[in-house]
Amino acid sequence: MVIFKKSLNRRTFLRGAGATIAIPFLTAMVPSLTAQAKTAANRPKRIGFVYVPNGMVMTDKVDLWTPTKVGRDFDLTPTLKYLEPFKDKLTVISNLRGADGSGQHTGAATAWLTDSYPKKTQGVDVEAGISLDQVIANRIGGETVFPSMELAIEDVTNLVGSCDAGFSCSYLNTISWASATNPLPMQVNPRVVFERMFGGTGTAAQRRQRLQENRSILDSVLEETHRLEARVGTQDKGRLSDYLENVREVERRIQQAESRTASAPGSEPASPAGIPEQFADHVALMFDLQHVAYQTDLTRVTTFMMARELSSISYPQLGVRSQHHGISHHQNKPEVMEQKGKIDQYHVMLFSKYIEKLANTPDGDGTLLDHTMMVYGAGMSNGNEHVKLRIPYAVVSGFVAGNRHIKGNADRPVGDLHIDIARHMGVELPRFGRSDGGSVGFV
Amino acid sequence: MAQEPSQAAKYRAVVDKYCVSCHDEIENRGGLSLDDVDFSKVGENAKIFEHVVTKVRGSSMPPVGKARPDPATYQGFASWLESELDQYAAAHPNAGRPAPYRLNRTEYKNAIQDLLGLDIDVRALMAPDSSSYGFDNIADVLGLSPALLEGYLAAADKISALAVGDPTLPKEDALYRVSQRFSQNEHIEGLPLGTRGGLKVEHYFPLDGTYEFDTTFLKNTLSVIRGMEFEHQFEISIDGKRVKLASMGGKDDYGQVLVAPEDLRLAIEERVKVRVPLTAGPHTIIATFPQKTGALEVDQLQPFENINFDPVYFGGIPSVEQVMIKGPFDAKAPSVQTPGRKAIFTCKPANAADEARCADQILARLARKAYRRPVAEADMQVLRTFYKEGRAAKGNFEGGIQMGVRRILSSPDFIFRMEHDPRGAQPGVPFRISDMELASRLSFFLWSSLPDDQLLDLAAKGTLHDDKVLTQQVRRMLADPRSEALSTNFAAQWLRLRNLDAVQPDSYFYPNFDETLRDAFRTETVMFFDSIKREDRSIVDLVSADYTFMNERLARHYGVPGVYGSDFRRVHLDDRARRGLLGQGSILTVTSMANRTSVVKRGQWVLETLLANPPPSPPDNVPALKENAPDSVDKPSLRSRMEQHRADASCSVCHNIMDPIGFSMEVFDGIGTKRAKDESGIAIDASGSLASGQAINGVDELRAAIAAEPRHFVGAFTEKLLTYALGRGLEYYDQPVVRSIVNKSEAANYRFSTVVMEIARSMPFQMKMPAAPQRQLTANK
Repeated sequence: MVIFKKSLNRRTFLRGAGATIAIPFLTAMVPSLTAQAKTAANRPKRIGFVYVPNGMVMTDKVDLWTPTKVGRDFDLTPTLKYLEPFKDKLTVISNLRGADGSGQHTGAATAWLTDSYPKKTQGVDVEAGISLDQVIANRIGGETVFPSMELAIEDVTNLVGSCDAGFSCSYLNTISWASATNPLPMQVNPRVVFERMFGGTGTAAQRRQRLQENRSILDSVLEETHRLEARVGTQDKGRLSDYLENVREVERRIQQAESRTASAPGSEPASPAGIPEQFADHVALMFDLQHVAYQTDLTRVTTFMMARELSSISYPQLGVRSQHHGISHHQNKPEVMEQKGKIDQYHVMLFSKYIEKLANTPDGDGTLLDHTMMVYGAGMSNGNEHVKLRIPYAVVSGFVAGNRHIKGNADRPVGDLHIDIARHMGVELPRFGRSDGGSVGFV
Repeated sequence: MAQEPSQAAKYRAVVDKYCVSCHDEIENRGGLSLDDVDFSKVGENAKIFEHVVTKVRGSSMPPVGKARPDPATYQGFASWLESELDQYAAAHPNAGRPAPYRLNRTEYKNAIQDLLGLDIDVRALMAPDSSSYGFDNIADVLGLSPALLEGYLAAADKISALAVGDPTLPKEDALYRVSQRFSQNEHIEGLPLGTRGGLKVEHYFPLDGTYEFDTTFLKNTLSVIRGMEFEHQFEISIDGKRVKLASMGGKDDYGQVLVAPEDLRLAIEERVKVRVPLTAGPHTIIATFPQKTGALEVDQLQPFENINFDPVYFGGIPSVEQVMIKGPFDAKAPSVQTPGRKAIFTCKPANAADEARCADQILARLARKAYRRPVAEADMQVLRTFYKEGRAAKGNFEGGIQMGVRRILSSPDFIFRMEHDPRGAQPGVPFRISDMELASRLSFFLWSSLPDDQLLDLAAKGTLHDDKVLTQQVRRMLADPRSEALSTNFAAQWLRLRNLDAVQPDSYFYPNFDETLRDAFRTETVMFFDSIKREDRSIVDLVSADYTFMNERLARHYGVPGVYGSDFRRVHLDDRARRGLLGQGSILTVTSMANRTSVVKRGQWVLETLLANPPPSPPDNVPALKENAPDSVDKPSLRSRMEQHRADASCSVCHNIMDPIGFSMEVFDGIGTKRAKDESGIAIDASGSLASGQAINGVDELRAAIAAEPRHFVGAFTEKLLTYALGRGLEYYDQPVVRSIVNKSEAANYRFSTVVMEIARSMPFQMKMPAAPQRQLTANK
């Protein structure tokens, strides 16, 4: 269970069942990295997206997610129960249309942030649409080291072949699309994320040097690639220019990181030793990394898949010993629905702990939550029947009035909500996905 | 093309009679319309007709129960189509064009092993790769993102420092964990005899120095270490030498259990902690319990194999939870020859003046291997610059080499496999790829790694594509241990063996499933596939072989007597049901739900994996097929419920084919144990009929039916292996190639090496279509 080098007094955080893992080393790093940020008068806005798979319990007869009352002072449903303390910051948006009729699980994952239909293919021509997180990152990410971060829990390498028939696994392995044709891989190993965030291990001087060296390597790689460009066929040039674009982006990040490390004193971060064995610990750690990334302003946009569509995770800690996907096809049996309800509630509980952390972290003249918008939800309503209508979304934010349940028009696409969300982040979208510029009234 | 109007007209009439009522422009079932396709132009309509061939050869159309032509006409139709298609393809060859490849995680790991002698944990270095067509080496979906590129850069930095043994390398903890569901009650394969439980790891120590070993033990949810009632010895040994012996449990410790379990745990962890000075390089670490104790018998009274699912239990015997290796403290540069240094420092500078020459020699050799092509002066200039930078920054020769290696590993020439179109390639006409590119295709196909010097030398001479040389090389490569990648990488993906890591059988229903069994399942299938490859057996043996590999644990699970000990050995199978892949626990578990079998999943697995004729996915937004989905709780007469369901015509088309296959395998439960009754206590009825109409009863008859149509099964195997070899999905224009490979291997009784050889010889493997002159590049961001 102890997965860090500097475990301090282990007794303080390893008590009892399912103990959470503290991250003393991360928080220890924060002051040095935020020294500069703290003085800023206006704290930047951050936005995070959290996805859960296989829909919710939302059948015609039993709906454990959607509040019955619309408007202010709505009723908290069992699934949303753990968000009670933040109800004044919580907005539930219901009833919008997802990508109906496009691959059973594929359409769910793909459309949640893109409002686009996935193209049925296994080949190079995977296509959906740019995702909301990336649109926002393109606009506000330039000032941070990482315009966005994409994280997940399940290692998809073990799930080769377990995807919707006729669709590339790429559609299920991410919810983040840099462009309509470029799905972004999600990182599952906290150690890799950590080292990416902090430029590897070692002293500040070592990390600084590493950045400089990487820069000169990239410069020379750029030159080499230009030489290569002359020799490859037209089709392959597309790949190569993608590559060059990536090289330039990494160069930009290094520049950003260099300017920060220069001001950071010589603290030596200890990175997590790997992927925690327990689901809850893994989720908590991934949230902690996002928390630190916000605090240190390494990024302002995060996307996190708490599990993947067709998820094979089981939840013995809840007494649910079967795999999530199987459970989601509950056939309307009360006892199986109850289990799916437990899983959904548990995911929200883990999410609410993160919200709590944001609410308890000072940021400028307020808290981190005051400057953050967290969007939570699933790509299907009724997972039992793969229904991609009435897509569940919930937003917790310190800078938008909550305590609201907005019921959208069933004929309107989720893109309407995407446009509303983007506007809160200072990004005006004339249209997005299938939306021609509508609004669900999340203003 | 020689057309025979009479044949065309004949089969046009057959199709009009049996097919077009569904497959016309109006009904257009399955997106297929046959009423206006020109039967005198089969080749021109290859995309449509190859699909028809697949469905007819697989007996999946017309739907089971609908009228079909007589067998002679039915097969004659398929044969006629195939011959038309093959003739057309011969006159209009299309070799396809895979996208540029990026090394995936497996290939990267193997490449580092072959280049620098280092066994790296690639999962800790880069993000997972996406997959398509059932494989994760499909060039099309191996895209790039800034995060991935950063991963490659960070990996290059770490690996070069590790390989050289950079004394300024930051400390990094390594954690080795034993799964909580891995039984440690018995001796574990690979650990010293006379020990029980524990773990063995091969750890690469980057530098000379002192390392600390921290062990923790399995505890219940109240922090109580198990098995404290009796005294146990625990030891840590390095390369067979004991460095720590400590005792835990017994009267004093047990007294603490209820009073202060947390203090006891910390005290014990302190007791077993040890610091050891070590030289750099790989060392074998064993943490285990040297003797069996009387306490073991307490657990042996337990009726189940999986002893670790009780969260508050604190009896039994202690198990290792994890070992953390910390350090190095007082680090020094390696004083010994590590594998990394051996692979790199093939030249030692005699004096300072000699350094430049040595650096050139070392970096040129490594670059050639890493870039898989001759190294040009331009390459060397770049590497020299970095060598000099490193030399200056670190103040020594080794630091310079380290920087050069880092530059090599960061190069797109290493990370990508770019193939170049030759000058003068004619649009629409396949060209032969260069011998250097062929060397890479061969090595990534057969080894999942870089070509070796011999391949590169032959390619440099320009003789590799020569049929005699190519044949020799393929034989040599198959005989090389690196070809194990075909079993661990290709077969593990083809058979969905990798998914075994993700399945979680419910311990309530399957108390005998634990990590030990999971490992045994995987080992069995990998060894079995590897034996087919090594002994160059017929591909058909994959389905019908009368032997497999087991250790005691697996034999106990299968009910096979007389197998003792933790090591795997070849065992003859008297039980016919158990023979071949269809009787293996790995496959039976991967195709089950957590708490029951799934006839649909099994049927689908057989169709997709063994017969390459997958059923289409269920229609969208139609209620999920009930038998497909649930981990149902009450389960009366699954079979009758499913038969009811199949009465629905839109479901029956596919389920009439899938379900009987699955039912024939019902004699195995969700983790591959044989049984006479199903989950609801109803006697298994394994009878049914295949799509061809053939009646079968039980898994052995299913097996016999598959083996009786070797062309079909070998064709499916060829499709999968060719997909993997080319790193792209197969298209309709590849089907004539698949048929030709099957034809050629038929004479050799479908020996493994023949299929591999014919793939290596095939047009799409040796050739490629030129880039289309004007193709729209991918959309802008």
